[in-house]
Amino acid sequence: MKAGALFVGFLLAFLLESLPFGPLYAQLHPDFVALLILYWALSSEQALSYVLIWLIGLLQDLLLGDLLGAQAISLVLMLVLLYTWMNRVRRLPPWEQLFFIFFLLLAQQLTAWLWPLLLRPIAWHNALLIGPALGAALWPLLTYLLDQMQRHWPQLRR
Amino acid sequence: MPMPGMSLSRPLPSLLRLVLLGAVSAALSFYSVGHPNLQQFGLSLARPILWLNSQVRDAWLAGSQYLQGQAALQSENADLRQRLHALEIQDLALPVLRAENRQLLALLDSFPTAPGRVTVAQIEAQSLLAGSQQITINAGSAEGVYVGQPALAPGGVIGQVVTVSCDNARISLLSDLSSSIPAQPLGGDEPILVDGQGNLQALSVPFQSRDTKLVPGTELVTSGLGGRFPPGLPLGVVETVERKNGGPFAQITVRPSANLAALNTILLLWPQTRHSSNR
Repeated sequence: MKAGALFVGFLLAFLLESLPFGPLYAQLHPDFVALLILYWALSSEQALSYVLIWLIGLLQDLLLGDLLGAQAISLVLMLVLLYTWMNRVRRLPPWEQLFFIFFLLLAQQLTAWLWPLLLRPIAWHNALLIGPALGAALWPLLTYLLDQMQRHWPQLRR
Repeated sequence: MPMPGMSLSRPLPSLLRLVLLGAVSAALSFYSVGHPNLQQFGLSLARPILWLNSQVRDAWLAGSQYLQGQAALQSENADLRQRLHALEIQDLALPVLRAENRQLLALLDSFPTAPGRVTVAQIEAQSLLAGSQQITINAGSAEGVYVGQPALAPGGVIGQVVTVSCDNARISLLSDLSSSIPAQPLGGDEPILVDGQGNLQALSVPFQSRDTKLVPGTELVTSGLGGRFPPGLPLGVVETVERKNGGPFAQITVRPSANLAALNTILLLWPQTRHSSNR
């Protein structure tokens, strides 16, 4: 994907992450940045740089006011897990891929939630499970839309 | 989705990279706690996204109002008229209460103080995760907002400003795990703390002995200790007091006076004791 398309994609993802639409939206929405990184990693011919993904996570931490490093390391862990099982994921039927996407999003979410334990207490919230589940449910629609966009506008590809 | 063949060869194994980036993240986490200017930089960096957020919010509100049916608008109008009528009746009692308050303060050899200046701000972003519960508003240092400033909403206190950039400020809500505010029962002088526990609907009062005088229904207000919040601002109402077998302390939950789950307009308060001389 072209740098411009990625820039707009991540800008939209950051926007969706922070929209002031009340606590229900804030606690239940899936991590759009993580979803975009998963799509980017799965559709890219080259392996993504861990440092680049870490920097994107750091930017998200800065923008949302979270503890610096929490989102950054959780996104890198998600990518490491994806690349560890990449070949196996490709052979999975679509509905089983959904479970894998759910597992990756959950691992990312739980890491970002646990990370502040380094400095302060944390509190459990059931929404920590619902966000990844909604993210996995959105995955087929998201990949369909982004695939269609790339087909209609081939210039979006590198 | 296309899944082309790809090379995953890297100069360093993935696990080693993960450990190295984890170490850098941990160092950054520890460093950022003692250096709030990093958060301030992040807030300045977020300005374009916050601006876009406010545009989307305004368009959403305008769209939902446009799509609202005539019946819904009439019902809302009737509801607002009813609330206005109730407020007008309450307003009638205010002069009497003011006079009574002045007399009581005179008896106590104290002097009445004005409540201070208030500025209205709108929410531009929110981060309401289990641990960190913060909102970002469209007022910053350009408007004179400062770190530690009390923030209110209809009902009472909602939190305090923790980060300020030129055009924006981030408010840590009462429910944030790091929030702890000195309080006292309304009409009493027993000093207590009201802590956040990551839940928008429930705060807690720690370290209260089993024979505490707090009972469900007790109203809690800011005590003014520490000088950050002026005394007497409504904080919440004690909802439950549980005394579990063997525990040295009672477990007390407090419902915030302001509805933290439905925040829209935020009031920033400049207490009379601070910044009043140069305004």
